[in-house]
Amino acid sequence: MATLQEQIAESFLANLSESKTIDAEKIDQLRTLLATSKKPKPEDFVKIFTLPAGGDLK
Amino acid sequence: MIKLESAHIEEVRGIRKLDIDFQKGTFVISGPNGSGKSGVIDAIEFALTGQIGRLAGRGTRGLSVAEHGPHVDKIKFPDASFVELRVFLPDIGKSATITRKVSSPKKIKIAPATEDIKAALAEITDHPEITLSRREILRFILVEPTKRSEEIQTILKLDEIGETRSALNAAQNKLQNARVNATAQEQSSLSTLQLHLQITALNAADLLEAINARRKILELEVIADLTPDTKLDAGLLAAGNATEFNRKSALRDLTALSDAATGFPDLGRKQADAILTDLEKLEADPALLAALQRRSFIEKGIELVDGPACPLCDTLWEDEQHLRDHLKAKLTKSEEARKIQQALLNNGAAISQEIIRVTGLLALVQKLASIQGDAAFAALLISWKASLDTLKTKLATVDGLTGLKTRLTGGWLETPAAFTKSLKTLTENIQAKPDQTATLDAQTFLTTAQLRLDDYKEAVRKSKSAEVAWTCAKAVYDAYCTVLEHELNALYEAVQQDFSTFYRAINEDDENKFTAKLTPSEGKLDFDVNFYERGLFPPGAYHSEGHQDSMGVCLYLALMKRLFGDQFTIALLDDVVMSVDSGHRYEFCKLLKTHFPHTQFIITTHDRLWAAQLKAAGLVTAKTSLAFHGWTIDTGPLVESNQEIWGEIESALEKGNVEAAAAALRHHLEFVSHLLADQLGANVQFRADGNYELGDLLPSVLARMKDIYGKAAAAAQSWGIDKDKQLATTAKESLSAAAGASNVEQWAVNKAVHYNAWANFGKKDFAPVAAAFRALLGCFRCQGCESWIYVTPRVTPESLRCGCNTVNFNLKAKPK
Repeated sequence: MATLQEQIAESFLANLSESKTIDAEKIDQLRTLLATSKKPKPEDFVKIFTLPAGGDLK
Repeated sequence: MIKLESAHIEEVRGIRKLDIDFQKGTFVISGPNGSGKSGVIDAIEFALTGQIGRLAGRGTRGLSVAEHGPHVDKIKFPDASFVELRVFLPDIGKSATITRKVSSPKKIKIAPATEDIKAALAEITDHPEITLSRREILRFILVEPTKRSEEIQTILKLDEIGETRSALNAAQNKLQNARVNATAQEQSSLSTLQLHLQITALNAADLLEAINARRKILELEVIADLTPDTKLDAGLLAAGNATEFNRKSALRDLTALSDAATGFPDLGRKQADAILTDLEKLEADPALLAALQRRSFIEKGIELVDGPACPLCDTLWEDEQHLRDHLKAKLTKSEEARKIQQALLNNGAAISQEIIRVTGLLALVQKLASIQGDAAFAALLISWKASLDTLKTKLATVDGLTGLKTRLTGGWLETPAAFTKSLKTLTENIQAKPDQTATLDAQTFLTTAQLRLDDYKEAVRKSKSAEVAWTCAKAVYDAYCTVLEHELNALYEAVQQDFSTFYRAINEDDENKFTAKLTPSEGKLDFDVNFYERGLFPPGAYHSEGHQDSMGVCLYLALMKRLFGDQFTIALLDDVVMSVDSGHRYEFCKLLKTHFPHTQFIITTHDRLWAAQLKAAGLVTAKTSLAFHGWTIDTGPLVESNQEIWGEIESALEKGNVEAAAAALRHHLEFVSHLLADQLGANVQFRADGNYELGDLLPSVLARMKDIYGKAAAAAQSWGIDKDKQLATTAKESLSAAAGASNVEQWAVNKAVHYNAWANFGKKDFAPVAAAFRALLGCFRCQGCESWIYVTPRVTPESLRCGCNTVNFNLKAKPK
């Protein structure tokens, strides 16, 4: 049986995938982080959110 | 999860040496207070989790497993204190033996140590909440909503989820700050570019118009389109005429700084004043200041927690979670400090944006000073810019802000004394330079434009990256909070439904419409219960303490069901069942049997009657019961060798000790009479002191039993069930014969005949008496499950049953 944490993580990642506001690569990285770390640090998330670098002045 | 097969406990808590055969089933341990029951629970909990709940938590300062886990005579020899459990793992269908010593509570010896067994056992180590003691049950009920929220979140492991949310929020805040700074940097770069190009809005047409005007002077190719690869000074570098100094542009930069400097005295004044006001508030209230400083300190500490040792003071805690909970509790207490902290940081961030704008202007002029050979002014500007960058760093933290009072009071920019004069001198020097030729002006214009465009592009790129990162962080945080709220609401709804169902099951006679409402809100969990359909109220408002206790047990069971689901295979209930009032004990047993058929409850109770009722209800059997009749420091719990007493009586008689045999018989008869009078609803003459003699009880029990068998026979006849009529009649006849053989009625009502008189009997005199009583009591129990029979419902009985339903007489006659 999935734990409550796992249920929440699964629903959360599914919602993100559906909303398409976050690219798939970042969602995969979030999935890996939440699966491997019970207590992720803010820096772990910052690292995911800042990669890859965005912005392209035309 | 697991089920217990057996336990071997040595020198743990109050136990010297004890073996228990749990048989993978629900098990009851009874005995008077101080007989060592809770020691067994401690030992099991220790073997499974390495912790002992009674030695941790509130009010246990100074207590520890290492020092207080061993028997008091083995404190200096903790290696001798250990527990060996034989456990069954239902998920994988295997059994294993685990051994844990008090001397090394973190280490566990597992045999066989296969990976699947180790993984299954590792899971339970993380769940100390399988143990519930009586003192803990009210922690869910009569606590303030914030505390209840904490307790329930802890038991459901929601604190880990909360930590993930906090980390996401912190990440979002960091990226928001980065975004604000990047936007300010972009604005600064844009201003300097527009200043140079002399255009009011940055667009390709205006930019190219300004650029192409200079390119035409230099007879360079006109740039038709602005693309990412466009070089505004293309063709110029090849000619080798590039220079960074453009007189007109330089003068505009100097003017821009000079104009900005007129506003320096009031720059960020409002924010600085607000910071000063907050700092003064802190100075006037040392407790608030301490709370704020502690808050920053603790926030830093929580980030560094990585084990049971406090990163701030090195204190070793029971485990990491206890430490985290302790630090979080401190943060919760400083709400006012949190508001001030937020205001300080917001105002600090506003001033930081001004710093970015000013340092952008200073950087331009510093470059001019260097080009013009004004080394002193260039050094002054470099130093000032560095000072402002340091200030910007300090403005980003509360610790930094608290040290800035003087600077914020006296003008935080700290404009160097020589600045105005040096700026004026540099401006005059550049003004004094002859106008550059049109060609040179065009060249330097293009060079500077390209440099500033590059800077702007880089600033835009960083700003966009920061925007994308923050947007992403915000979307993820919002999504997490939405899911969390949805899941928690669903969870609390499910818990409140289960809780209501369980409570109604126990109190079906008078609260069969009971409902409850758990209402989660920010950091709180309100809990209201229905009081006889008069509305929802806090549990402590109208319900009795006994009912509140029952609520605690029911809420615990509801939480466990939700936390473990099918994996809820074991719970250690330490004196918890006493919380269920005597009128609802069978219903409680029924609740455990029907709603938790796959859960092994290890139950302790100091009420021997309760233990017997658990047996009568079929929750446990004689084989899954253990009774302690006392405790000494040298022996530990004194186990009743034979609860059915007959072996003990025979043994005493064999030794010629009739007095001991008589005492045992008397004691047993008193106990069983008490139990049966209750279970059968015997008509006993009321005594206000509750001090019922055997003579008060046994005759009434016999009369009641005969009456019930009579009713059973009559009911069977009314329904035309001859077989049941015969069974009831036979049972009644057997009872009468046994009662006659024991001469019980004459004996029991005659107070002159008591066990002291039996002391004068010989072995041959007493053995037939014991045999007769044994036969008599045999009429009151099921031969299959050995439980004492009882009537149900208790008020107006409709049937006579045993724990396994082998005995099952209908008492309700067919309506005429």
